[in-house]
Amino acid sequence: MRDVAIVGIGTTKFKSRWLEKTYYELAFDAAKMAFEDAGIDKDRVDSAVYGIYNDFFQRQYQPDAFVHDYLGLGLKPMVRVNSGGATGGAALRIGYQEVASGLQDVCLVLGVEKCADTYNYELQMATPEVLRAILYTADMTYDNPAGRTAASGFALAVVAHRDKYGNPTEEQMAKVSVKNHFNATKNPVAQSPKVLTVQDVLDSRMIVEPFKFYDNCLYTEGASAVILASKKVAESISDNPVWISGLGASVDYVMPGNRPSIHTFESSRLAAKKAYEMAGITNPVEELDLAELHDAFTGTEIMAYEDCFFCEEGRGGELIDDGTVLPDGRLPVNLSGGLIGCGHAVGATGIMQTYEVCKHLRGEAGERQRQGARKGLVQSIGGTLCTWSICLVLER
Amino acid sequence: MNSAEREAWYRYQHEKYGIPVEHLRREFEEELSGKNPMDAPLEIPDKMEVVFKYSYGGQSRFFRELRENKTLYGAECPECGKVFCPPRSNCHTCYQPTQWKKLAGTGTIEACTVQHYTTSSFIKKVPFVCAYVKLDGTDSLLMTNMEVDDVAGVKVGTKVKAVYRELRLGAITDVYFKPLD
Ligand SMILES: [Zn+2]
Repeated sequence: MRDVAIVGIGTTKFKSRWLEKTYYELAFDAAKMAFEDAGIDKDRVDSAVYGIYNDFFQRQYQPDAFVHDYLGLGLKPMVRVNSGGATGGAALRIGYQEVASGLQDVCLVLGVEKCADTYNYELQMATPEVLRAILYTADMTYDNPAGRTAASGFALAVVAHRDKYGNPTEEQMAKVSVKNHFNATKNPVAQSPKVLTVQDVLDSRMIVEPFKFYDNCLYTEGASAVILASKKVAESISDNPVWISGLGASVDYVMPGNRPSIHTFESSRLAAKKAYEMAGITNPVEELDLAELHDAFTGTEIMAYEDCFFCEEGRGGELIDDGTVLPDGRLPVNLSGGLIGCGHAVGATGIMQTYEVCKHLRGEAGERQRQGARKGLVQSIGGTLCTWSICLVLER
Repeated sequence: MNSAEREAWYRYQHEKYGIPVEHLRREFEEELSGKNPMDAPLEIPDKMEVVFKYSYGGQSRFFRELRENKTLYGAECPECGKVFCPPRSNCHTCYQPTQWKKLAGTGTIEACTVQHYTTSSFIKKVPFVCAYVKLDGTDSLLMTNMEVDDVAGVKVGTKVKAVYRELRLGAITDVYFKPLD
């Protein structure tokens, strides 16, 4: 396998509604930024990988073909990836394969998502209709008719974890929410910058037990892109390449009844383990400088501390209590604000997380810069109770 | 648009998408009155719809037994003995065809949460319990939406029994669960 570098990055602002742009126009903006950042013309790209999650959100099946056309990449090969919340990470993995295999030298990996074009006219809001579109990804015969949402699936896992280990507590989850909303205040592309107190989070209305309003990420519209290149090309065009030194992926049984337990996310543990092995990491808290974890819900960020081996299984709650994951802690988590603070534009999310880690490794993260960052982790998960998991280790 | 044109627009969209006219009027009156600049983003009603005559394939008996006989069945692997409900025609471990096994319709809550907010399709039912039930005699989990007066009364470990609806449509929602007294 060949070494693969990230030589260009771009992202739109993450917003609850991009009324003035369609999904392919958002994709265009992100791609243009990434090409400019890499200092290359779009014709230099050999192939493209598009992470787009929900066809209903785009009001278009096979939306990748229309993005490809709009970006002017016609006649170049491309593929679309759809792996639930992990779509962005999964797209990066396919892009990596394109270049590492030697098949292509330069590959555009772009994630884009709309969502709030869906609408519930009676309630005068998008969210219940967004959730309805998402529920078509649950098993249509047995799960969809029960009205389960993505949040309730993850809530079931957090409750099972709490029953077994006594955490995460509601206070610990609230602290994660405070941290991520605050981190977002320093990120110019973030959707939900907010200075909250633990009490604000605890007092917010219940959505799905044990998640209250501020324990949930919001739905987001946006696009993010990275340009991957082989070592030879990277060294000829880039003076600040970021290397993908570790990559791991795992996909669990989508029907949780086929898993041995639901209090931990086995696919996530395997993805992290493989990524660390490839990158030669044995002690992630010591060796990583920052991590962007998939905090669709505060409780699952705490489970992710364990799944990414920042601590022993069952002790995730301690890392938010002792400050390890705070901006000035030993391993800051979600300096971008994460999905809760920056936003969750599903197909784009894993690529936004990668963009964020690259910003730190390049020393361009401004006010939120992790000083001297050399190594970072991206965790991208999604699907019913974390079906898909991808982890990437990035290095400068 | 003049008022007659606007009314015709509302009527057309109502008939095409089933959106009540008053909702359309509330959302689009300003737009149709021509108050927005030509370059402002324009939103319109739309809907994605497909109609099915869906085959349950190898799971057909499960739904026919449910609809006709108010009975739950599991699918048992003859090799490893695992019993699946939701049923499946083939064991994913042994790659052998499964056999139907009648279940008692009782079980235990393995995981549960209370939904206070949910999708358009269910939002009028909140709060309700979403739970995984392990049916007695099976080794898998069935997702269920429990209809109980006291949502706080359903916990992990709660014993439940199947209740069959009067009107059964041949869908998993023909059955729901309530705590055993
Ligand atoms: Zn078997």
